[in-house]
Amino acid sequence: MSAALPDARPTRPARSKLVWVAVALFLAMTAWSWDGIGFSPAELVEKADNARRIVDDMFPVAWQAWPVLVEPLLETFRMAVIGSVIGCSLALLVGFLASQVTAPNGVVYGVSKTLMSVVRSIPDVLYALLFVAAVSIGPLAGVLALVFFNVGVVAKLLSETVDAVPLGPLEAADAAGATFVQRVRAAVFPQVLPNYLAYALYTFELNLRASVVLGLVGAGGIGQVLRIAQTRYRYDVIALIIFVTFVIVFLVEALSISLRRRLS
Amino acid sequence: MAVADLPRSSDARPRAPFPLARRSLLLLLLVLFGWAAATSGIPVERILRAPAGIWNIARLMFPPDWAYAGRALGAMVESVHIAWFGTVIGAALSLPLALLAAKNVTGQATSTGARQVLNAFRAIPELVLAVVFVAMIGLGAVPGALAIGIHSIGTLGKLASEAIESIDRGPLEAADAVGATWLQKMRWGVLPQALPEIVAFWLYRFEINIRASAILGVIGAGGVGAVLSNTVSYRRWDKAGMTLIVVVVVTLLIDAVSGRIRRRIISGGDTSAEVAEGEMVLQAGA
Repeated sequence: MSAALPDARPTRPARSKLVWVAVALFLAMTAWSWDGIGFSPAELVEKADNARRIVDDMFPVAWQAWPVLVEPLLETFRMAVIGSVIGCSLALLVGFLASQVTAPNGVVYGVSKTLMSVVRSIPDVLYALLFVAAVSIGPLAGVLALVFFNVGVVAKLLSETVDAVPLGPLEAADAAGATFVQRVRAAVFPQVLPNYLAYALYTFELNLRASVVLGLVGAGGIGQVLRIAQTRYRYDVIALIIFVTFVIVFLVEALSISLRRRLS
Repeated sequence: MAVADLPRSSDARPRAPFPLARRSLLLLLLVLFGWAAATSGIPVERILRAPAGIWNIARLMFPPDWAYAGRALGAMVESVHIAWFGTVIGAALSLPLALLAAKNVTGQATSTGARQVLNAFRAIPELVLAVVFVAMIGLGAVPGALAIGIHSIGTLGKLASEAIESIDRGPLEAADAVGATWLQKMRWGVLPQALPEIVAFWLYRFEINIRASAILGVIGAGGVGAVLSNTVSYRRWDKAGMTLIVVVVVTLLIDAVSGRIRRRIISGGDTSAEVAEGEMVLQAGA
C-alpha cells in the first residue's frame, strides 16, 4: 500500500537564512546586556539570605497603617481621573491631526506625527521629575506628567484607528464641502468613538498604575508614602502598599474590561 | 447602492441613536472629574503659574551641553541593557505560563488559574517591584532588570496565551494521532504556529520596557533615570536637556528598528500588512 505512495513525505521547506541572523542577533544582544548590567547568578545566590530577611520584614503586613494611606490613595485616584480626562481630550485633537485621513495638510500631519512620537518616547516618571522641578512638588506635577503621557499614548492609538477607517463617509463629507471640524465630527468621529472610549479606559488603568509611582519623585499620591517607607526600611508598610495597589488595579481593570466589552 | 434603493426623501434622515451606555459613561466621567478637580487642593494660582515655570525650564535646557552627550549615552545604553535583559527574563518565564493559560492546551480550570497568576504579575508596577528588589540585592542594574522581567511576565503571558488559543487545531490532532507526548505536541503542534506572533510581542514589550527602564534610575535601579534625576536636582538644566535628547533619540531609533522587525516577522516579506497595534495594546493592557 505504502509502496504506491513513493513521495508521501513532503520535502521540508528550506529554512530562511534570516532565522539564523535573528538567532545570532538575539544571542549577541543578550550576552551584551548580561555583561552590561553585570548579571551574576552566583551573586544572586549570595544575596538570598538578605532577600529572605526583607521578605521576613514584610510580614506581618502593617495592616494597622491603612489610615495613613487613605488620603494619598484618594490623591492618586484624583490625579488619575484629572490626568485621563485632560490627556484624552487633548489626544482627541492631536490624534485627528496626526492621521493622513483627517489631517488638513501634509505639514500638519508630519509635525503632529513627529511631535507625538517625541512626546511618547519620554516615560511618565521622567515627565514627573521635570514637572516637579518646574511647578514644585505635589499633585499638579503628577497631573501634568500624566497628561503628557496620555496624549502620547491615546493620540497614537487613535490616529492609527483613524487611518484604518472606511472612507465612504469621508468622501460624502468632502462632496458636501465639509471643513476639517465638520469632516472629523460627522464622518470619522462616530466610526472611531468605540475605540477611542476603549483607549481612554485603558489609559485610565495605565494612569492609576503610573500615579502609584509618581510620588516617588515627589509628584503626589501614594508613591510619597512608598518613598518614606523605603527610606525608613518599613517593608511591612511597603507590603501593605503593594497589597492595596494590587486590589485597586485588579478592581479597576475588571470594571474597565466589562465596560469596554459593553462599548464595542 | 442604486439610486432606486435610496430611502424616500420624507424618511431620508434617520433618527439619531441614543446610546445610553455611552451617555451615562460620559456623565459619570464628568461627575468624577468635577469631584477630583474640586477636592484636589491644587491652588489655582499655581496652575496659572505652571506654563511660565515649564517654559522657563524648557528654555534653560536649550542649548544643551553637547559635551555631556557621552555620559548620557552611556547611561542610556545601560537602560537598553536592562530593558533587553528584563524582556528576555519575562519572555522565558512567560512561555510556560502562557501554555498553561491557553484553554485549547490545558482546559478551562488550569487556564483560569494561570490567567490569574499572570494578572497578578501585571498588577504591580515595575518601580514598586524595583524598590523591593533594590532592598534585596542592592543598588544597580540587576534589580532593575529583574523588576522589569517579573512585571513583563503578566502581559507577555497573556498575549502569548491568546496567540496560542487562536492556532489551527489540525497539527495538534495530527500529533495526537501519531501518539505524541505533551512536550512533542507543544514543540511540533503549537509553537511553530504561534511563535511568530509571540516573538513580535516580545519585541513590542522590549520597546515598552525601554521606557520603563529609563525611569528605574530614580530609585537607584540603574540606567539613565539616575543621570536625569541628578542633573535635575543639581539644576544643571543644560545637562538635563542633553540627557533628555539622548533618551528621545535612542528610544525612537529602537522603536523604528524593532517596529520594522516586528512587521517583517508577522507579515513575512509583505511590508504592507501592518500590525494592528491598537488591538494588541487593548488585549495586552501593557
